[in-house]
Amino acid sequence: MDDTRTKLKECFQIVFPDLNEKDIPKATQENVAAWDSVAAITLVSVIEEQFGIEMDLDDIADLDSFDKVCTYLGQRRQPA
Amino acid sequence: MKITEALRIVQGTAADAPPFRVTLACGFTPLHLHTFVQAHLQLTLPGRAVRITEGLYGDLCGTLERVAECDGLIVVIEWPDIDPRLDYRNAGAWGRDTVTSILEHASLVLERMKKAIARVPSSVPVALCLPSLPLAPVFSAPGWQSQSTELLLRSTLLHFAAELAHDSRVRVVSAERLAQESPWETRFDLKSDIKAGLPYTVKHADALGGLLAKTLAPPAPKKGVISDLDDTMWRGIVGEVGPENVHWDLHSDTQIHGLYQKLLGSLSDHGTLVGVASKNDPAVVAKAFERPDIILRQEQVFPIEASWNAKSGAVKRILEIWNIAADSVIFVDDSPMELAEVAAQHPGIECILFPKEDPVAALQMLRHLRDLCGKDKVSSDDALRLQSIRQGAAFRELAEGGAAPEGFLEKAQATITFDFAAAEEPRTLELVNKTNQFNLNGQRFTPADWHKATSNNRSLVAAVSYEDKFGPLGTIAVVKAEPQGEGVLVDTWVMSCRAFSRRIEHQTLKMLFETAAVDEIEFAFAPTAKNGPTREFFASLLGETPQETFRLTRSQFEERCPPLYHEVRELKKAEAHG
Repeated sequence: MDDTRTKLKECFQIVFPDLNEKDIPKATQENVAAWDSVAAITLVSVIEEQFGIEMDLDDIADLDSFDKVCTYLGQRRQPA
Repeated sequence: MKITEALRIVQGTAADAPPFRVTLACGFTPLHLHTFVQAHLQLTLPGRAVRITEGLYGDLCGTLERVAECDGLIVVIEWPDIDPRLDYRNAGAWGRDTVTSILEHASLVLERMKKAIARVPSSVPVALCLPSLPLAPVFSAPGWQSQSTELLLRSTLLHFAAELAHDSRVRVVSAERLAQESPWETRFDLKSDIKAGLPYTVKHADALGGLLAKTLAPPAPKKGVISDLDDTMWRGIVGEVGPENVHWDLHSDTQIHGLYQKLLGSLSDHGTLVGVASKNDPAVVAKAFERPDIILRQEQVFPIEASWNAKSGAVKRILEIWNIAADSVIFVDDSPMELAEVAAQHPGIECILFPKEDPVAALQMLRHLRDLCGKDKVSSDDALRLQSIRQGAAFRELAEGGAAPEGFLEKAQATITFDFAAAEEPRTLELVNKTNQFNLNGQRFTPADWHKATSNNRSLVAAVSYEDKFGPLGTIAVVKAEPQGEGVLVDTWVMSCRAFSRRIEHQTLKMLFETAAVDEIEFAFAPTAKNGPTREFFASLLGETPQETFRLTRSQFEERCPPLYHEVRELKKAEAHG
């Protein structure tokens, strides 16, 4: 999970370069002004690239905070 | 390029770099395309901060009609821009009447786009891409068949692009190259299109972004190709089998060498210098080039350096005769060892292996050569280049041997023409942007920057051409001066290395003093890695090597100016320059 958090932090840093590193774990669509629908798609593309996964566009509407994305990725990484 | 890498490149742009403003006109959400175009352009223009402006979703025509001042315009057309009924997000019907109506609508829309692009300021280069996504299944024929209506629609688009490409500002992305770099089946993301208006996959956005960046800001073409002969220009070792037994044809299964000769001939005709460096007996090589069936004719090649010495020595002599740097040149040989020897002695030269046993790789190499040397427009000066190099060599040979240079110059019957109305000629900016050795400060300009810098009626811009009894050199120099207080500042001055040793630079200075009617001229000089000849020229007049901006007085110039024998002509001199 730590590895996922670290990698996800890097994704957030790439997409939201103005976001302070220590604020990333608390980031939500509400408290990050730059996190609009366009940035959400960019974030998904970066996560797909960094984690080597494909994400369903239907899922991303619910992924509106760092924690939720992290949990989602943790579930995706668990063996079936 | 990955999206992560593209975002890092974009974010790493120096905020204080001069902006390069691009309008990206398309009717869909360009999101990733925007990022990739910006990143690829940023890599091409490292000294600039690429800034991209988008238009409104679904309004490509409107975006084109509102294009403001910018450094470049990128137009990406997709089927919904031609007719909304071709949009997967549109609820319109695909009935029988629709098809004819789509065709009529397409003609009207394309005409509107054409008019809008024609109104874009003349200094703005335009990169255009025709629809790159699969057409919706609106036509009645099965998918494996192209119906006449569909063919008419595609032909209308091609006709539109062909007409636009006549305009020297407009360059069209190659559909064939796009197909190589972005396979058809990985281009379109229907789900993302329907949900977010974003039809391109990340891969397609990257491939298209890269091609659009190259099309808008193409890399400088290489100036020359130096080729080996045996097992490269032809199959066989000419010194062993004799000139009559080397081959380049279908009959002897050596066609790839014939194709290589064809390509070199075409490059030569379009202004790329072609020379030969071969370990051979010169007399035998000359006989091979006399064969009537040779495709690359002797007059298309200069010089032919054949000897038994190291190839790097032959390359050195060719570079001296061409008077260009190694990094502007390609060396082709079938031997990896020869390539390595030349590469070690000439850093920067692009060495390419001729894959004599692999026709597929050989064809790829031919395409690569065309990419490296390709020009979208060929000027009359391009056609003159090889001829003038050949004449230049004869000029130097005569000047150095026998007659004294002074007497030689006096009898050269040289004419220099200063054209004061050529600032907007493509050759003028081309010279400014590609000349290295005689270059006042190495400054490069985008077409928009150049237009801005020269369009005020106080600038003096002269394109200089030269001709003597050996033939014309074409337009070989450009000088630009601006009034500055009571004086004059020369901020751009370039001269092709083909024109050295003819005192054209002295005649140009004389013209500047006379035209500006001043006793002192300031020069915005800056040393670069390659402008040694410029430094030496000014040192000969100043008595010391300049390091930065300096002033030269009329008396300094007149004291040290050697005799000038040219006849001088001036063309279309603007009134503002007196």
